[in-house]
Amino acid sequence: MPVYKLCMKITKKNIPHLLIYIIVFLIVSSIMAVTAQKSHKEQETFSRVKTNIAFINEEESPLIEGLKDELGKAANFVELPDETETLQDALFFRRIVYILRIPEGFTQRFINGDYMPLEKTTIPDSYSSAYIDLAINKYLNTARLYIQQMGGITQEELVSYLKENLSKETNVEIPYSEPEADLNYSNYFFNYLAYSLLSILILGMSALMISYNDRDLKRRVGCSPLSDTAANLQFILANLTFAMVSWLIMVVFCLIIDAKNSLTLNTFYFIISSFIFAFCGSGMGFFIGSVAKGNETISAITNVVVLGSCFLSGVFVPVEFLGSTALKIASFTPSYWYVKANNRIAQLTHFDAAYIKPVLSDMAIVFCFGIAFFALSLVIRKNRRYS
Amino acid sequence: MVIKVKNLVKRYSELIALDHLSFSVRKGEIFGLLGPNGSGKTTAINCILSLLKYDKGEIEIFDKPMTPEAYDIKRNIGIVMQNVAVYNELSVYENIDYFCGLYVKDKNLRKKLVDEAIEFVDLNDYRKFYPNKLSGGLLRRLNIACGIAHKPELIILDEPTVAVDPQSRNKILEGIKELNKKGATIIYTSHYMEEVEQICSRIMIIDKGRAIATGTKEELKAMITLGEKITVESYDISEEHLIRLKNLPNIVSVEYKEQLLEIKSSKGKNNLENVLEFIKRENIQFGKIYSELPTLNDVFLEITGKELRD
Repeated sequence: MPVYKLCMKITKKNIPHLLIYIIVFLIVSSIMAVTAQKSHKEQETFSRVKTNIAFINEEESPLIEGLKDELGKAANFVELPDETETLQDALFFRRIVYILRIPEGFTQRFINGDYMPLEKTTIPDSYSSAYIDLAINKYLNTARLYIQQMGGITQEELVSYLKENLSKETNVEIPYSEPEADLNYSNYFFNYLAYSLLSILILGMSALMISYNDRDLKRRVGCSPLSDTAANLQFILANLTFAMVSWLIMVVFCLIIDAKNSLTLNTFYFIISSFIFAFCGSGMGFFIGSVAKGNETISAITNVVVLGSCFLSGVFVPVEFLGSTALKIASFTPSYWYVKANNRIAQLTHFDAAYIKPVLSDMAIVFCFGIAFFALSLVIRKNRRYS
Repeated sequence: MVIKVKNLVKRYSELIALDHLSFSVRKGEIFGLLGPNGSGKTTAINCILSLLKYDKGEIEIFDKPMTPEAYDIKRNIGIVMQNVAVYNELSVYENIDYFCGLYVKDKNLRKKLVDEAIEFVDLNDYRKFYPNKLSGGLLRRLNIACGIAHKPELIILDEPTVAVDPQSRNKILEGIKELNKKGATIIYTSHYMEEVEQICSRIMIIDKGRAIATGTKEELKAMITLGEKITVESYDISEEHLIRLKNLPNIVSVEYKEQLLEIKSSKGKNNLENVLEFIKRENIQFGKIYSELPTLNDVFLEITGKELRD
C-alpha cells in the first residue's frame, strides 16, 4: 500500500506541528469544560431570598401578630417611621420593595366577615412582591375558613390553628432521577471535541492533501499502474487512521481527567458518539482537502466551516440561546447532531431501547454526513482527474 | 513500434495545441521531440500518457491502445516530468522507493532497484537528504531516478535539463544514453537543439502542435538548402564587397553586422576556399574565420522562418 505508507510518512513528519495543536486544543477543551461545569453548578444551586418589606401596623391584635410571624418566613422587616416621604424614599432607593399597612379596625371587621382591604404599596413589576401577596392571602384565607367553620373561635385559638396548619409540609415525589454520575465535564468536553477534533483533522488532512495534490506529483502517480480507486482507498484509509489516532488521544485524555465517571454507560455512549463524529470529521477533512487548493484556502475554509458550524450547533453557546433560524441552518451540519446526541446522552438515566433510540438516530445522521463527505470527495477527485 | 500516434488533435477552446500530430517511435531509439516553448511537446506527452483527454486521434503503446486504465502498459513506462515532482517530506531514498513501489511490490527487488537508481544518478552521498537540501542539479537527478528506478522499457523525459548547470546536464545526457544502451526506448523532449542533436537517433521538429519535419539529424539537415555557414571577423567590409560576395558560386545570403560577416552557402564544394580567395584578392583585413555546418536551428529557421528560441 504505497499511498497509505506515504501518507503515514508525511503525517509522521508533521507530528510535532500537529502535536502542538492537539495539546493546545486539549488544554482549551479542558479549561472550557471545567468553566462550563462550574457555571452549570451555580445555575443549579437554589437559595431562598427574603424580601425587604415595611410593616406598618395601626392596631395590635393576636391575628395581626400571627400574620407578621407568618410573613417573617418570606420577608425581612425593615423598621421605618410612618412618614409618607420616608416610605417613598425607601421604595425608590429599593431599601424595601413592599409596604404593608394594617388599618385600624381591620381585625374586628375581618372576624365579622366584613370587607376591609389591607393597604399595600410596591415597586412596579416587582416579582418578589408577589410572594408577599401569596403569603398574606394564604394566611388570611385560611383564617377565614376557620372563622367560618368554627363560630366563636378566639383570636388566640385561631392563631394557634393557623400556625399549626401553615407549618405543615407535603412531601412530593417526582418520578425523575438524576444521573448517577456527574456527567457535566464529559458532556462539555465531548461537545468541545467537535471543534478541536474537526480542526485537527482538517489541519492534518490539509498538510497531506497539499503534498499529495501537487499537480506534478499527481501526474507522476497518474502515469503509474496504481489505479485511482486503489489510490483513493489507501488515501481514505490513511485519513481514517489519522482520525482514529487523534480521536483516541483526546478520548483517553478525557477518561484520565474524568476518571471517576469513565466507567458509566453514559461515557460509553459519549465515546461511541465521538468515534462516529471522528469518522465524519475525517470525511469532512477529505472533502475540504479535495475541494480546496493551497494552504491559505484550506485554513480559511477550516475557520469558516469549523467555527461557523460549532457556533451554530451549540458547541460554544448552548442551543437554548440560539434562534430557530440558526438551529435550522445548524441542522445541516454534523456538529449539530453530534452535540444533540451528546446532550441526550448526558441526560440518560435509563438505557432501554426507547431512551437510546433518539441518541442512535442522531449518531446515524452524523455517520451519514461522513459517508456523504467521502462520496462527494471521490466524485470531485474523479472529475478533476484530467484538469 | 513502441509508440504509434495518429492524427492527434487537442484543443483548448480556440487554441489548437495539437494539430493532427502523427509519429511513431521505434524500439530502442532515442526519439527527440524538438520545438520552442509552447509548441505542444508537453501536451503531446500528456496525451500519450492519458493524463489529458484529447479531441481526436489514436495512440498505441506496445501495440495496444493507450487508455487511463491501461495499467499493463503503464507498468512499462517511466516518466520524468518537466518540473521536479518529488515529496519534500521524504528523503532521497524514500522518494525513489515510493515511486518505485508504485510499480514493484516485491520489497527485496525494490531495494535492489532503488540502490541501482541511486547509483545510476550518482546520489549515493545524498541518500538521507531531503529535497529542500539539494541543489537544482541534484534535484533533477533525483527526479530522473524516481522515473527510471523500476527499469521501464519506455522512458519519457520531458525537458529534464531545464535550469540545470552544464556539469549536471552532461551527466544527465550521458545517463540517458546509458539507459538507451541498456535497452530502453526513450522519448526526449527539449527546446535545446544541441541536446537533441547530441543524444537523439531520430528527431521530430514540432511547432504550433504540428510536426514540421521528422528524421535523423542528417536527414533533417539534408532537407534544407543551407550547406555551410562561414563567419569572418572583419571591420573592413564595404557595401560593394557584399554585392560581389553574393555573386560567388553557391552563396545564398551575405550579412554584415557588428564587424561579423556571415555568409550562408548552399551545398557545394569549395565554398570556404572561394570566400578566402575573395578576401585575399580584395585585400580585406580579417581576424578569425570559421565555417559551420547547419544546425537544427537552421533547419527550424528555414522551415518556419523563425528561430527555435524565439
